[in-house]
Amino acid sequence: MVLVFTHPDCARHVTPPGHPERVERLAAVERGLRGLPVDRRECPLGEAADVLRCHPAGYLARVKASVPEEGWAQLDGDTFLSPGSSDAAMRAVGGICAAVDAVVGGAARTAFVAGRPPGHHAERDIAMGFCLFGTVAIAAKRALDHHGLKRVAIVDFDVHHGNGTQDLMWDEGRCLLVSSHQMPLYPGTGRPEEKGAHGQIMNLPLRGGGTGHDMRQAYERVVFPALQEWDPELLLISAGFDAHADDPLAGLEWQAEDYAWLTRHLCEFAGGRVVSSLEGGYDLGALAASVAAHVGVLEERGR
Amino acid sequence: MSENPTAGPIDAMSFEEAMAALEQVVGALERGEVPLEQSIALYERGAALKAHCAKKLAEAEEKVELIRAQEGRAVGTALAEGM
Repeated sequence: MVLVFTHPDCARHVTPPGHPERVERLAAVERGLRGLPVDRRECPLGEAADVLRCHPAGYLARVKASVPEEGWAQLDGDTFLSPGSSDAAMRAVGGICAAVDAVVGGAARTAFVAGRPPGHHAERDIAMGFCLFGTVAIAAKRALDHHGLKRVAIVDFDVHHGNGTQDLMWDEGRCLLVSSHQMPLYPGTGRPEEKGAHGQIMNLPLRGGGTGHDMRQAYERVVFPALQEWDPELLLISAGFDAHADDPLAGLEWQAEDYAWLTRHLCEFAGGRVVSSLEGGYDLGALAASVAAHVGVLEERGR
Repeated sequence: MSENPTAGPIDAMSFEEAMAALEQVVGALERGEVPLEQSIALYERGAALKAHCAKKLAEAEEKVELIRAQEGRAVGTALAEGM
């Protein structure tokens, strides 16, 4: 059984008409989950203390103060706040923290958090790329500082570089961070030379037009051996599904089966203790199919 | 055009113009100056510029080959004459 965390508040983060990171993505995720025997949980509201392991108090206060009473407040070229955005983001944080608690505590082996807004572009004090709080980094810090784990790993297979997670985990020697991403593409970072303060960050740029076959070779060649060597106690996944061939915001050619393949391999590490959190994925059909593939494997491996 | 590498017809560009535009596109992507939503359009523009540059380069190489082939004949003629 896989735990799946959702909350209606995550649909209250509303972006302007035409914005790709839209409420309808959650309905697509639900279509992907249909028919899977998942164990449903509501995301609790995240605690400020969890956010503050990664972001300064002033940043948290600034995001909350920027939430408009109606309409939108714009934080960068494509990051918007609606009246429900703070609650939505705090549910996404609370959901992934609860998922970590359940998996580290042994109540479940695998978990998927279908929250929005996504998190992997949010830096210490910069909201960007549709993201407000670095949810997966926050989850890693909770596993390390609250649960006392010694080694965790994050794999970010969203098609865009997880610059925010990298920023938040740059000095964190207890966490291996692997990000694969199309390059050049937003946000422009993610070169192999960016290795973190302890050499614990691995960036794997992928060429535009690359297929699932290319991805499999790259992961087999460098990512799986690195995970094997790191031997984490918990694996966190930044699960963006925008490397799919149908995605309008990127140019890789992965298919839903590639997400199943990758998930199956990632579940071989950390004793199968895997917590995955939704990031990007903007073609609704591809998102539904990819979530079905990804969570389907998490369900098999969660038994 | 040089101000905005995301616009303008590529077919009419010289190799130098297309290379300059491509450098601007890559620079903008690498500096993270482009919003996420527009990043792919700029990437596609870059790919089209790269293809155009490659085509121009191939055309130039063909010309060089042609000249070389002609020179080859010319050398042959010269040698024959010198004998």
